[in-house]
Amino acid sequence: MSEFLDLEAQDGIRMTWNIIPGTKQDAANCVVPVSAIYTPLKPNPAIPVLPYAPLRCRMCRSILNAFSVVDFVAKIWVCPFCFQRNHFPQHYSTISENNLPAELFPQFTTVEYISTAETGPVAPPVFLFVVDTCMIEEEIGYLKSALAQAIELLPDQSLVGFITFGTYVQVHELGFGLLQKSYVFKGTKEVTKEQILDQMGFFAGKTKPTTGVIAGARDGLSAGNIARFLLPASECEFVLNSIIEELQKDPWPVSADKRSSRCTGVALSVAASLLGVCVPGSGARIMAFVGGPSTEGPGSIVSKSLSEPIRSHKDLDKGSPQLYTKAVKFYENISKQLVDQGHVLDLFACALDQVGIAEMKVAVERTGGIVVLAESFGHSVFKDSLRRIFQTSDNDLDLSFNGIFEINCSKDVKIQGIIGPCTSLEKQSPLSSDTVVGQGNTSAWKMCGLDRKTSLCLIFDIAKKDGPDSIVQSASNQFYFQFLTYYQHHGGQMRLRATTLSRKWVAGSGSELIAGFDQEAAAAVMARLVSFKMEAAHNLHVAFRLLSQYDGYSLVPADFDPIRWLDRALITFCSKFGDYHKETPSSFSLSPRLSIFPQFMFNLRRSQFVQVFNNSPDETAYFTMMLNRENVANAVVMIQPSLISYSFQSGPEPVLLDVTAIAADRILLLDSYFTIVIFHGITIAQWRKAGYQDQEGHESFAQLLQAPKEEADAIIKERFPVPRLVVCDQYGSQARFLLAKLNPSVSYNSDNPPPPGGDVIFTDDVSFQVFMDHLQRLAVQ
Amino acid sequence: MASPQPPFAAQNPTGQGPGQGQGPPGAGALPGAFANLQISRGSAPPPGAPRGLTPQQVPPAFAARPGPPPPGSAGARPTFPGSPPAPPFVRAPTAAASAAPPFGGPPGAVAQPPPPYGGPPGAASQPPPPFGGPPGVVSQTPPPFGGPPAATSQPPPPFGGPPAAASQPPPPFGGSSAAASQAPPFGGPPAAGSQPAPPMFGGPRPAFPGPPGPTAAASPQPMPPSFGAPQQPPPFTGQTPFGGLRPGGQTPFAAQSAPVAQQLPFMGPRANAPTFGPPSWQPQGAGSGAMQPPIRMPGLPGSMQPNTLGPPGTPTIPYSPHAGTQVSTPSKIDPNQIPRPMPEASVIIYETRQGGQATVPPAASSEFIVKDNGNCSPRLMRCTVNQIPCTGDLLTTSGMPLALMVQPFALPHPSEEPIQLVDFGEMGPIRCSRCKAYINPFMRFVDQGRHFICNLCGFRNDTPRDYMCNLGPDGRRRDADERPELCRGTVEFVATKEFLVRDPMPAVYFFLIDVSMNAVQTGATAAACSAIAQAISDVPEGPGTMVGIATFDSAVHFYSLKRAQQQPLMLIVPDVQDVYTPLQTDLILPVSECQENLEQLLESIPTMFENNRVADSAFGAAMKAGFLAMKSTGGKLLVFQSVLPSLGVGSLSSREAEGRANITTGDKVCVDVFLTTQSYVDIASISVVPQTTGGRVYYYYPFSALSDPAKLFNDLRWNINRPQGFESVMRGLQVQDYFGNFCKRVPTDIDLPAIDSDKTVMVTFKHDDKLQENAECGFQCALLYTTVYGQRRIRVINLSLSCTSLLSNLFRYADLETQFACFLKQAANGISTSPLPRIRDEATNTCINILQSYRKHCASVTSSGQLILPEALKLLPLYTLALVKSVGLRTDGRLDDRSYWMSLVSSISVVLAVPLVFPRLIPIHDLTSRADDDSIIPSPLMLNSENVQDDGIYLLENGEDGLIYLVLDQFDNELSRKVNEVVNEIRRQRCSYLRLRLCRRGEPSGDFFRSFLIEDKAPGVFSYVEFLVHVHRQIQSKMT
Repeated sequence: MSEFLDLEAQDGIRMTWNIIPGTKQDAANCVVPVSAIYTPLKPNPAIPVLPYAPLRCRMCRSILNAFSVVDFVAKIWVCPFCFQRNHFPQHYSTISENNLPAELFPQFTTVEYISTAETGPVAPPVFLFVVDTCMIEEEIGYLKSALAQAIELLPDQSLVGFITFGTYVQVHELGFGLLQKSYVFKGTKEVTKEQILDQMGFFAGKTKPTTGVIAGARDGLSAGNIARFLLPASECEFVLNSIIEELQKDPWPVSADKRSSRCTGVALSVAASLLGVCVPGSGARIMAFVGGPSTEGPGSIVSKSLSEPIRSHKDLDKGSPQLYTKAVKFYENISKQLVDQGHVLDLFACALDQVGIAEMKVAVERTGGIVVLAESFGHSVFKDSLRRIFQTSDNDLDLSFNGIFEINCSKDVKIQGIIGPCTSLEKQSPLSSDTVVGQGNTSAWKMCGLDRKTSLCLIFDIAKKDGPDSIVQSASNQFYFQFLTYYQHHGGQMRLRATTLSRKWVAGSGSELIAGFDQEAAAAVMARLVSFKMEAAHNLHVAFRLLSQYDGYSLVPADFDPIRWLDRALITFCSKFGDYHKETPSSFSLSPRLSIFPQFMFNLRRSQFVQVFNNSPDETAYFTMMLNRENVANAVVMIQPSLISYSFQSGPEPVLLDVTAIAADRILLLDSYFTIVIFHGITIAQWRKAGYQDQEGHESFAQLLQAPKEEADAIIKERFPVPRLVVCDQYGSQARFLLAKLNPSVSYNSDNPPPPGGDVIFTDDVSFQVFMDHLQRLAVQ
Repeated sequence: MASPQPPFAAQNPTGQGPGQGQGPPGAGALPGAFANLQISRGSAPPPGAPRGLTPQQVPPAFAARPGPPPPGSAGARPTFPGSPPAPPFVRAPTAAASAAPPFGGPPGAVAQPPPPYGGPPGAASQPPPPFGGPPGVVSQTPPPFGGPPAATSQPPPPFGGPPAAASQPPPPFGGSSAAASQAPPFGGPPAAGSQPAPPMFGGPRPAFPGPPGPTAAASPQPMPPSFGAPQQPPPFTGQTPFGGLRPGGQTPFAAQSAPVAQQLPFMGPRANAPTFGPPSWQPQGAGSGAMQPPIRMPGLPGSMQPNTLGPPGTPTIPYSPHAGTQVSTPSKIDPNQIPRPMPEASVIIYETRQGGQATVPPAASSEFIVKDNGNCSPRLMRCTVNQIPCTGDLLTTSGMPLALMVQPFALPHPSEEPIQLVDFGEMGPIRCSRCKAYINPFMRFVDQGRHFICNLCGFRNDTPRDYMCNLGPDGRRRDADERPELCRGTVEFVATKEFLVRDPMPAVYFFLIDVSMNAVQTGATAAACSAIAQAISDVPEGPGTMVGIATFDSAVHFYSLKRAQQQPLMLIVPDVQDVYTPLQTDLILPVSECQENLEQLLESIPTMFENNRVADSAFGAAMKAGFLAMKSTGGKLLVFQSVLPSLGVGSLSSREAEGRANITTGDKVCVDVFLTTQSYVDIASISVVPQTTGGRVYYYYPFSALSDPAKLFNDLRWNINRPQGFESVMRGLQVQDYFGNFCKRVPTDIDLPAIDSDKTVMVTFKHDDKLQENAECGFQCALLYTTVYGQRRIRVINLSLSCTSLLSNLFRYADLETQFACFLKQAANGISTSPLPRIRDEATNTCINILQSYRKHCASVTSSGQLILPEALKLLPLYTLALVKSVGLRTDGRLDDRSYWMSLVSSISVVLAVPLVFPRLIPIHDLTSRADDDSIIPSPLMLNSENVQDDGIYLLENGEDGLIYLVLDQFDNELSRKVNEVVNEIRRQRCSYLRLRLCRRGEPSGDFFRSFLIEDKAPGVFSYVEFLVHVHRQIQSKMT
């Protein structure tokens, strides 16, 4: 396992199969697709940063890399992807075996190029705040103080804009000194870029050019006009602060049986258009702070009448509300606009009820935005997360902009698509597979926003057919992959990170494959796949129509049952790779390389990604988005939380995620990624209540109490968004956060009684043991 | 007394006649004025004849004029004929030493910062010199106009009632002048008017009317003879009475003998009453039929050249001869003899009914004090004919229109009693259960009072028990005299809940200011801001009068002022295709809460937009946004606009659509538009909205940042402070159509989001009934409105007129000014749909048809060679000519000027209608030599160039503009001070701040001035004399 981690550390990549089934049929038989989870900006100080432009293959445009075969005499290199022979240019003339450029060092499979001269001055990042005002005073108060804090942390040179919304949308003209001035747009009507240009005085006193693109300072707008709305943070701090200070609840009256009228959709559309007019193509984020559901205008998710509840999974499942379909369509259009402009949408949703993340997901995810979901703007999940975005620290997010992700592969490998925060650029190439999953049909993707943790899940298609030709073709049995990520570094410059890999392929099925199987990566990929399919099926169901091929939904049956799908996959997988005698369940065993995969699947079946009915559509969308942007390790935690036990008997030790882990004298620390639970066994809790930790002579107890807290803090510190921390006691109501995640090996109707001090879970869910029994039985058939 | 008798019966005068008649014999004589005298006395200039006189002569005439009430009384200032009824406010400052502007701004003062309304500078220190209400007044009980109920109980007239004012030192209007402080402004009311008046020309009507008294016999007067005759066949005889005509009563122009003419009583300017009296009668007697003193245009046939008509009208003998022959002689029309308006001498006391019949109201332009004893004051409502034809055919034959001019908030004379307020409590006002007419003095109680019969529909209603009262021996309710609704022509009822759609709203004023590049650069924005800032401090302090403000260029900018110590918040609505208000509250606030903020904002707006480069103006959108902001409250929207609306809804390209779009939203909002422009702004389009919402257009063209701000301020101030009501609904019965500024949703009612003292609505009627000869025909106008203090009232105005089946009566009781106002409005109304030449022809034809009808049916005996004019309508040709030559009907004018004129006319009152097209020409070069007790304004001159001397300085005013014409620069201080006085007096009379312009001979401005000299010949248009000839010819040709 550790070799996979090493590879990840070096290149930011984990593949399900590190030894690749060599033909299409083999790959299909493997159940778990050949795929990779790649973290383009994974920090690694060892990566060389090269201050020159990369050399490209004349034929396939791939970049010179460590796997290229170099003829030092002829000054020629051979592209591993297309076998094209390329001459080195003049400035590489000194190249020799002993004088290699960094990109040719075998250990530098990942290198980074900094673009030099060609770009002008560094464009400062732009932050456009879009703030909901339909909230109770208390929430507004929290939001104000969070915003005020954020503003202080803004980098001085960054540009800031401010929009508030409620019934109407107000775009504040920060550059107008005399009094507070804002443009007010109706909440019921979408606003186009053209309208923004015409209506916000961008051409006051001048005639508007009738043709050509008008946008940004480079294309026809005066910097002065742009500076009315987007100002360097250092220049508008005072105005911003006074606006924030005076933020008030939306003044339009709301009757008691109505929801406030909140035009989130139009606000975002205005924000997108404003950025499109002012700073197209340079890094900008719309940071939306939303305190409730959108009820007004396009993009609204529920009617104003409180008698109509906000849609649930059930509603969506059975034909679902009109509004949902329309809203999704609306946000999809916004996401297209944002992607064209290279801008990001971040969503901070803080409300007790849903705000429409399910609908807005498309816009956030495709632009690579951040999403934070909390119950209140006063909650630390929100406050600390917001602070983390701007605060500089070791755990910086390294927010970067305007990424373009490209891929090159060996000829027999095609790419089906990417599940993750990006958008297909629809760049058709021989590389793109006919089968589409996620953002596909392309070999290039836009990542408007990306950070050090953003991880893409690439699903490959092995195209090689069995047959005599193929063997001739590929002399070596290596597949090569090259991932190119162009992006605007958080420092401002444009960079290109290039990762080139090679993986061996083997023909025929076989035990060889098992050696290269990464169970964790496989679990993460399966999780992304299943939730993607659920959503696709779901949208299909909702819309009663086939979405375009490009959306990759066409392969999913409308009545998709995720549990059956997972079970079947697991059974097939185990049948193929398990050791057993046919029809003899007891003979079944799995290689250690595969052994915990069933457990991951068991927990995935029980997770929030599959068992959506415990959650709202918003929560599901949120969990899915997080799953789709996190790396393998984090994904695994989401699927199968980690559980650590603290007790006097031993030091902190991981324990099975099982109800039997509960003991009266233990403290358990559960990390389910979104929530961290510190669970005190009943005895510990009684001691704590008695205050022993404060008494002399009980220092060790105090330490015992403290240890999980420190661990939790450590986790919280490096995680974004900040997880929710729950501290609870055995038998307490909050204990449900722990119990829900544990394997119900002891339930109210199981045969074996709980150990003393242990606990029982009241559920009809099958326990892992039962699950395994069934699996074995079915696998051996 | 409904005495059904003879035609004349109608005239009440009988009762009076005698008494008065006796007085100055002459008085009796004059009736000429009244009946249809045909003015023509060839030689005799119409009564009052000053006109004929040379300027110099005139003065004396007036001076001598007994008319003026008791000496000393300031009120003495008699106004001219044309002068409007006394404006409520006292006159202006005298003190003026310059400064004090009456109405508004200081006259010359223009340059100076305008003191509050006309208040003299000093005045400023006083509290509020609101317009109507003298400061004091305001504080006192009687509130301005519709004043609070309290007012009613008190005598002091509501409106700035002078009386009250008089007693106080500070004249209402900031008035200053000594005059004011002294006696009651206006010639003191009653006293003044009542008796003394008679003098002059037969004095005020009251006097004469008598003559014709049906019971002529009774009258001891001289006339008897004539009467006797009259009774007989020739219907006209009745007319004879006026001695006026006497001699030449019927003087055709043709008439010769000039000399005679001169002697005629009337004419003499100086002619004092005494003079004429006697003589006059005789002739009449003689000419039994004489009545029709036609003007005869002898020479029609060829010869005559306009001015050459030499021999002043000779008094031909009444019937005289057809001197056809004579006519043909080269005799010429003496321009000095043709009919012209004459100044009215003095204040008249006018009782609306006498002897059970409606009396004939004094000329609208004269000064009179009304005693409402059954019929409403003619200021509020007057009819084109004062007797109603029994059949529609009769009306058609006469060629005259049947229409009412309703000016429900007309300013009363200071000496008049205020309109009384009646509160029926829960029960609400008594109404006819069939036609919904309100209880009025003409509803007849029968059956011991248990029932009453509606005078409008004849339905027999049960009297509510609470309202029962026994009848007296005379058949009237015993309590009739105690109940205003049973004895007054005009009363107000407190509206009960059923009249409320919702709670009455406080007054709301919302200002919209153009801040586009042009507006800012020409100073229009600054002028508007400063006018608003000043005017706001004078906004009537109702409970929570509210204000709001917005600016606009290519977008609409609202301001939220409710931010305690903070700066206002500026909210921009950029979508001018689909506007909305950015906030629901805080855009319109009680004045008391935001005045300071607002003033600061107004101060900073010009700077804020100093560098505005937006040339576009989204006027329509701004207005619509304003409507929306006021949707819940209604109120007044005051828009200051400087350029052609070029953007958004209502931009010019889509102008047709605009008006309609706005109307639909314009619910309870009244729009006034102030156009401070230097270019074409398409008033035709812009005026649609004000006209349909009860507002009006103000036009400052070409706008000058130097001289116009004062006018702008004064206009705004008067706009806000004048008596007015909101959210009104007016209805009448059997109405054919309404003309004016309002919105009509259902055929019977008109909606007026606001109605003020300057607005008049014309109502025309369909006559399809057959009325009884001896019956009366009733009119009732009910106006439901909200006072500026937020009370809901119903003002009910009643007029009941006798019916007649005699055409001659129709002519005799015709009301010239009202009819003319009617023609004026109809002409203006036609401009948008017909070509100008056709409108002019129609106007001329209307005049010709009426005269021809008269000629044919009432004066057929006279020679066809004579042009015979009914006395009451003797000025019709002159006014018609003026109309044809007016700005609105000229072909060569600017489109905007014409459109503005149209919009002005649509709501113009009877009093202002005539001067608008027939301006006053006042010599002002000799002001300094006038005695102090002369009227402030010298007698006007006839509008012809002969009266404009090269070394003179003249002021020509039409209620809107004042043109100062001079040949030489010769203003010395004394003179300019006097000029200021004159101008201010005019401003006061007109309730309008004249826009002064200098015109010099030889410059385009001079030509412009001359274009107002109606009597002159202009290229392509007749001179007065020519016109008369033309009219005569037309009539002749029709007769044959």
